[in-house]
Amino acid sequence: MSYEVIALLMFSTMMLMLMTGQRVFAAIGFVATVAGILLWGVGGEDIPFSAAMKLMKWYPLLTLPMFIFMGYVMSESRIADDLYRMFHVWMGPVRGGLAIGTIALMVLISAMNGLSVAGMAIGATIALPELLRRNYDKIMVTGVIQAGASLGILVPPSVVLVLYAMIARQPVGQLWLAGVLPGLMMAALFVIYVYLRCLVQPQLGPAMSQEEREEVTMAEKLRLLRAGILPIVIFAVMMVPFVKGWTSLVESSAIGAIASFMAAVLKGRMTRQVFEVSVRQTLGISCMFMWIILAAMAFGAIFDGLGAVNAIRNLFTEQMGLSPWTILILMQLSFLVMGTFLDDTAMLVIVAPLYVPLVDALGFDLVWYGILYTITTQIAYMTPPFGYNLFLMRAMAPPSINMRDIYRSIVPFVFVMILALALVMIFPDIAMWLPNYVYGK
Amino acid sequence: QSTIKWRMQTYAGSALAAHVAKPAIDKFNAIAGDRMQIDLYSADELVPTNELFRAMQRGTIDAVQSDDDSMASPTEVTVFGGYFPLTLRYSLDVPVLFNRYGLDEIWKEEYEKVGIRHVSAGAWDPCNFATREPVNSLKDLEGKRIFTFPTAGRFLAQFGVVPVTLPWEDIEVALQTGELDGVAWSGITEDYTVGWAEVTKYFVSNPISGAWIGHFFANMDRWNELPDDLKLLFEVCCEQSHYYRQHWYWGGEAYLRVHGDKLELTSIPDEEWAQVEDAAEKFWDEVASESDTKAKVVEIFKQYNADMRKAGKPYRYESA
Amino acid sequence: MQKAMLAYIHVVDGMNRFIGRIVMYLIFVMIGVLLWSTSSKVFLTPANWTLETAQFLMVAYFILGGPYSIQMGSNVRMDLFYGDWSLRTKAWVDAFTVFFLIFYLAILLVGGLGSLAYSLGYFGPEPFQFLGSLIWTFVTEGKGAAQEMLGYLERSPTAWRPVMWPIKLLTCIGVFLMILQALAEFFRDVTRLREVAD
Ligand SMILES: NC(=[NH2+])NCCC[C@H](N)C(=O)O
Ligand code: NA
Ligand code: NA
Repeated sequence: MSYEVIALLMFSTMMLMLMTGQRVFAAIGFVATVAGILLWGVGGEDIPFSAAMKLMKWYPLLTLPMFIFMGYVMSESRIADDLYRMFHVWMGPVRGGLAIGTIALMVLISAMNGLSVAGMAIGATIALPELLRRNYDKIMVTGVIQAGASLGILVPPSVVLVLYAMIARQPVGQLWLAGVLPGLMMAALFVIYVYLRCLVQPQLGPAMSQEEREEVTMAEKLRLLRAGILPIVIFAVMMVPFVKGWTSLVESSAIGAIASFMAAVLKGRMTRQVFEVSVRQTLGISCMFMWIILAAMAFGAIFDGLGAVNAIRNLFTEQMGLSPWTILILMQLSFLVMGTFLDDTAMLVIVAPLYVPLVDALGFDLVWYGILYTITTQIAYMTPPFGYNLFLMRAMAPPSINMRDIYRSIVPFVFVMILALALVMIFPDIAMWLPNYVYGK
Repeated sequence: QSTIKWRMQTYAGSALAAHVAKPAIDKFNAIAGDRMQIDLYSADELVPTNELFRAMQRGTIDAVQSDDDSMASPTEVTVFGGYFPLTLRYSLDVPVLFNRYGLDEIWKEEYEKVGIRHVSAGAWDPCNFATREPVNSLKDLEGKRIFTFPTAGRFLAQFGVVPVTLPWEDIEVALQTGELDGVAWSGITEDYTVGWAEVTKYFVSNPISGAWIGHFFANMDRWNELPDDLKLLFEVCCEQSHYYRQHWYWGGEAYLRVHGDKLELTSIPDEEWAQVEDAAEKFWDEVASESDTKAKVVEIFKQYNADMRKAGKPYRYESA
Repeated sequence: MQKAMLAYIHVVDGMNRFIGRIVMYLIFVMIGVLLWSTSSKVFLTPANWTLETAQFLMVAYFILGGPYSIQMGSNVRMDLFYGDWSLRTKAWVDAFTVFFLIFYLAILLVGGLGSLAYSLGYFGPEPFQFLGSLIWTFVTEGKGAAQEMLGYLERSPTAWRPVMWPIKLLTCIGVFLMILQALAEFFRDVTRLREVAD
């Protein structure tokens, strides 16, 4: 069988398997094992298990349960409530200010956890009801929360970048740093968008009324500023020892996890219920990720070992004779399409064995490419029919917001994200300046 | 008649493999043409390095390039693979020991017991310290957290070195952040090639070992199935690979010591270093007492070193 | 039949839930080990066992916790079409697709047992026979006799050099529990379809 046929066969079978709605890891694992048994030759059946050993040895993966735990502690214990209040009173008087404040809140939450779940939970349960009560446009704010929460995977720490690092074999530290400026830039673009919209259509985001403003005393306002200390402290106890070289990446993730746990305890928010839910959900979500990765590693090794990677490379570069940039753009487009209906890890697993070596061979930087991938993942989280933030929003939004509203809400933000993607592609330094500066290259 | 296909995995990452494995395999493929093709994979690509031995034994992978230590071979000779402390001076020592002093037979026999064909052994670079702080005496080594091989770590612990094991890809960052004080993993060529020269400042000229011992192996059944001329061709290409590494490393080591501008050379004085050499002899005896095979190998090392000393310059320069 | 299935579901669910609920606290053990790693580095000589211990714990965490995560429904599915199906259709399709999962798990287990035999020093072509007679010897003749059968124990190539068989054994057990859970899911679908039919 030719390499091209193998690649096509594995790829299309996996798509078909996913369509049946079975668990993603089972679909990937099944295709991998069948290909291993039928096409590999002697010993192909050993690869799925050796993937488990590979996964064990790849130590940044230990950060994954840590950051998931951190996120759950934060959202379940509601230690971020004050943070929301802070932005609320300070930003309320501005037109669209509460929405802008919510974006800022999302940036801070993103710096304290590695996924978008925590941002979604806090946004949908705390910010959203408040915003609706103040007559903010429901479609705009639903979008703000989904887009803002997605920053969780771009602003460090980021679980998605850890997974990318594992599959592309790139240093996690550099990837995280590379996510900082694009994350802030994207947040700024959201703010600009919201601000302009509210300038043109003031009814979308009315400023806080005079009476309400007067209700909050200056002393209260200053007191609330203290809430901003919490994320800074958590971020600092986690990142400073790491950057200083006292701790390794994995150790600092454990420090982060324990720091947010302690914060919840000290604030008296670590109830039995919160404890139970955080611990249990951390296991559930970690298992979901780890089992996908486990299957993915097997799929990648078998795909690679069957020579399918070479086939695709030849097809793109030699037979079709495309220029590097055309190929790169085609790749991002394919990510955007796949992201509408695929889980991000599945998407990475399916195409990384093809794309990563190719991107490398074309002379692009794989750290930079990781950021491009992460931005497309953020978009994937919001595009129907399959998107985590859509699901979470559907599960947590008040009844006044229906599915149509949720779908409509994401449109402008997806365009803003595509703009951000284009900017990072055209100006790679947006991503690369910080890691180059810190690691002195 | 269809093309024979082999998968071969090296323990080297892709940047290094481009020098130490790929050229020879490309030549093999060019000559064998339609009769046989070998696909080369770099470190951890198909299976993780710690599963490499078993994967080859099972036939999941047909051939491997590695030292015994890295792939944790279940043999009596594993401890000598990679860098066995202070046994070798120059990279030419390796082929001489294998071809003239009888190591080749021992290795072939040991690997045959576990279902593996040992094709041939070759030398790589020496093993020196590259450090963030200057090392000018044995005392400077005390308390240093050093990334090194298991066997070397075991040996160096008596001088106060703290051996640290981290995944290879994380070494650069660990050096940057200060989590590691240095590495004792390779010669200066690799320090430059893989980027560690950017994150360390000093290079200690006293080697823990003058050359690494590594090998090409094949699954026994796959090997036996090959027609004789392809076996021969594979052996020749392995030899060619050893030869390429001889000059790539030997020349590179000297060139970078002289012209490299990223690492400053430091040395531990010979009188002091003699303590390390003495400790090494004790260490060999310790290892020799573990089994007959090990005793035999250590005996050969001793014999060889005695001969080299007697031969004098240019084989050995030291007085002892 | 129905009864037997329900009993099976009950037992397997209960067992895996019990195991999962213990395993979920390993997150704190991992945190503890990593914090110890940091403090030993800052205040004492760095410990050489922490990183690998944490890795072993992580594998135990997600492999043994896997069945419980299936019970919780944590594993994502692509719901492009699936989401719109009726419960009955879902049960029908699941009852079929669960065998893809079981197949994958079975191969994972086969590979795991082979690797386990290797880690106990068996290099031959019949790992299952070896493991079988090892267990048999252990049961009939005791620990000493079983130990005699072991060969070159596989160790991790690090300064700490832990033996590898415990984690491989744990992995095999976890995958086996996963298979039991997958069967329970199958029976659940079948009973569901029956209930609808009745
Ligand atoms: N893992 C080993 N024992 N490697 C031996 C080192 C050889 C060479 N200096 C390298 O780093 O690749
Ligand atoms: Na984050
Ligand atoms: Na999507």
